[in-house]
Amino acid sequence: MSLLQHLKNSVRSRSIHVAYVNVGSCNGCDIEILACLSPRYDIEQYGIYVHNNPREADVLLITGAFSPQWEDKLKPLWDKIPHPKVAVAIGNCPISGCVFNRPETLVDPPVSKHIPIAAEIPGCPPRPTEIISTILSLAPLIFKDYEETIR
Amino acid sequence: MKKTVDISLPVGPMHPCFKEPCRIKCETRGEYVLAAEVELGYVKKGIERIMRGRPWQEVMFLAERVCGICSVIHNFVFIESVEHISGIVPTERAAYLRVIVNELDRMQSHLLANYSYCYTIEHETLAMYLLNLRETVMDQLELITGARVTCAFIVPGGVRCDISSDIADELRSALDHIDAELTRFIRIFETGPLIGLRSKGIGILTKDAAIESHAVGPTARASGIDNDQRSTHPTYTALGFSPVIRQEGDNFARIMVRFEEVFQSIRLIRSALEAMREGPIRGGGTIKAGSIRYRGEAPRGELLYELTTDDYGRILEIAIQTPSIPNIQVCAHAMLIDAQSAADITSIFISSDPCIACTER
Amino acid sequence: MLSIINYIREFLRPHWITTFFTAKTAPLVTPPHFRDFPELTDKECTHCLACMMICPAPEAITVVKREEIWRPEITKGHCIRCGLCIEACPEDVLTSGRILAYKKEEELTLQGTFHIEIDQSKCMGCGNCTVACPVNREIDPALRSSGTSTSDEVIMRVDTGQNKVLHEEKCTGCKTCEESCSNGAIRVARIVEALQGGEK
Ligand code: SF4
Ligand code: SF4
Ligand code: SF4
Ligand code: SF4
Repeated sequence: MSLLQHLKNSVRSRSIHVAYVNVGSCNGCDIEILACLSPRYDIEQYGIYVHNNPREADVLLITGAFSPQWEDKLKPLWDKIPHPKVAVAIGNCPISGCVFNRPETLVDPPVSKHIPIAAEIPGCPPRPTEIISTILSLAPLIFKDYEETIR
Repeated sequence: MKKTVDISLPVGPMHPCFKEPCRIKCETRGEYVLAAEVELGYVKKGIERIMRGRPWQEVMFLAERVCGICSVIHNFVFIESVEHISGIVPTERAAYLRVIVNELDRMQSHLLANYSYCYTIEHETLAMYLLNLRETVMDQLELITGARVTCAFIVPGGVRCDISSDIADELRSALDHIDAELTRFIRIFETGPLIGLRSKGIGILTKDAAIESHAVGPTARASGIDNDQRSTHPTYTALGFSPVIRQEGDNFARIMVRFEEVFQSIRLIRSALEAMREGPIRGGGTIKAGSIRYRGEAPRGELLYELTTDDYGRILEIAIQTPSIPNIQVCAHAMLIDAQSAADITSIFISSDPCIACTER
Repeated sequence: MLSIINYIREFLRPHWITTFFTAKTAPLVTPPHFRDFPELTDKECTHCLACMMICPAPEAITVVKREEIWRPEITKGHCIRCGLCIEACPEDVLTSGRILAYKKEEELTLQGTFHIEIDQSKCMGCGNCTVACPVNREIDPALRSSGTSTSDEVIMRVDTGQNKVLHEEKCTGCKTCEESCSNGAIRVARIVEALQGGEK
């Protein structure tokens, strides 16, 4: 790996841009992500910016249990995110479908069937502290060995 | 929708201002909005279908997950409706504890709604202040129930756990803190000339239009309609409840109604803490067969549960009407029409506090 | 003008100024009263299955035998941290937040009675549920190898191609049978009561 790549990677891991997508959650996890923005937890002091724009994101936070409407939308959205990228499943819903995973349900969990998931944060919903510490522990790992391929 | 115009402007489904996916399709001439339609269906999970044939201890959690922002009221209304079917009366202390937790939930929901609005009109300072204040409320919820969002606090015949005098004291001092902070924030909001430009006279919902389209909750109360299910709830009437009503019907009035309701919740919690006496918090009782229509006041408006149970305590049929259903339609068909600028679309939409998760369930 | 005065008043409060210069974000800690995933205490589990009966989330808790000891195992990612299993367990095996302390102090319990319903039009008499039922297996260990039972003590057994319920009162409501049935023919109604102050 070239020195330049090392430098790029270490800079990247200090400035993470986050987008979140709700694929059929109950809102519980979304507002806990929102609570991370509050001055109490202040996610921006760690160099994490929530933009909600897939085209400039590094980390995609996924909440919700995958409702049928997203079948043809999540994959294109994932493809729009530039490399390097990871997806993090927030809450039980994308992991197992939570209480919605019953025979009568409309949702189609887990989300890892549809796009690759790098990390999971269990809990219904997880606390903001849990969300922040997971993203923080994940950040150095995503970018450490990333090497740009020439296309 | 018929094409009558030069531009049709879609907003969403992913938009920085929206917490949830939904799409507003607007027909505009220049910046002037002629017609709007809200397209939903991105988070449909089929909760009512899952609920059928399940016992209360499962349906209670499903009901809570209809909406994560106002989870306590779903728990509250569902449990009270099965209690009414089976003739269970909650113990006195439990009834007050329910009101306390419900009002804390309403406070955090209203603060979040007003945060979203301030964020949408790009007043980030005030937005962050409100979001931080909300954390104080969340701390109290967590202290009482053990969880921040989906608390699962109310069970048939009572509540899950009691509060000790230490917790009550902490709750009182937190309320004093919120009271003092919010008074200042409201002063900033009321007098801000730029906030006024983005809020006053924007997105007007007249009283007639509100009655005709069955608006509920703060959206209706900001247009001068006296519609609050809490005024008929026995515990609330015992605490001396009276609804907050304003007449203007614009964005500003809707936000102010929510601010005033936060103060009202503070007063209600204080008087509930005063009125509470020692006693048991659970009365027991099993669910009997029957059916009922039961209403409660969610932070966003009137919430209706219609359900049938059987003798084994299972829910056979259930239908939920959540407050955001009428409010989103009112917003699209009355408030968004005649908006003078495309920038007002999101702020008008957010001012009606739409909750997509509970609209689609 | 009034607005500017309000802003200045906001930013000139001593409290605002001190927090501005000494701002420190809270460390990422979880308060002790938070209702986290249930954890095991050192009490002994008796395999009464009350925890599985009450659990509202699918596949969140199972009671398994490890090294000759029964113990409940919680699956993260399925468990919704509701804490009902802690309240339901009669032996105080599980704990989380302040629920266990509370439950003891206020003598809170959740008690249930159960009713098994088999839809004979859906049941094809395969006997999956009779083998899966942990109570059945306890009563008649032969079930595990043969898949059929001759004992009259079991909760239910397949007899001449039909599944018959013999001892409904022995059911613990654990729902294992529901999950094992591929047709959804068996449903266990759990009538649960939230009580305070010991046995009623
Ligand atoms: S994990 Fe729980 S809180 Fe999060 S979206 Fe799913 S149901 Fe809601
Ligand atoms: S905490 Fe709730 S969801 Fe988790 S195992 Fe216990 S009963 Fe099940
Ligand atoms: S309820 Fe308690 S004693 Fe009974 S099986 Fe579960 S953990 Fe064991
Ligand atoms: S619920 Fe089913 S598996 Fe569990 S004890 Fe009862 S009959 Fe057996």
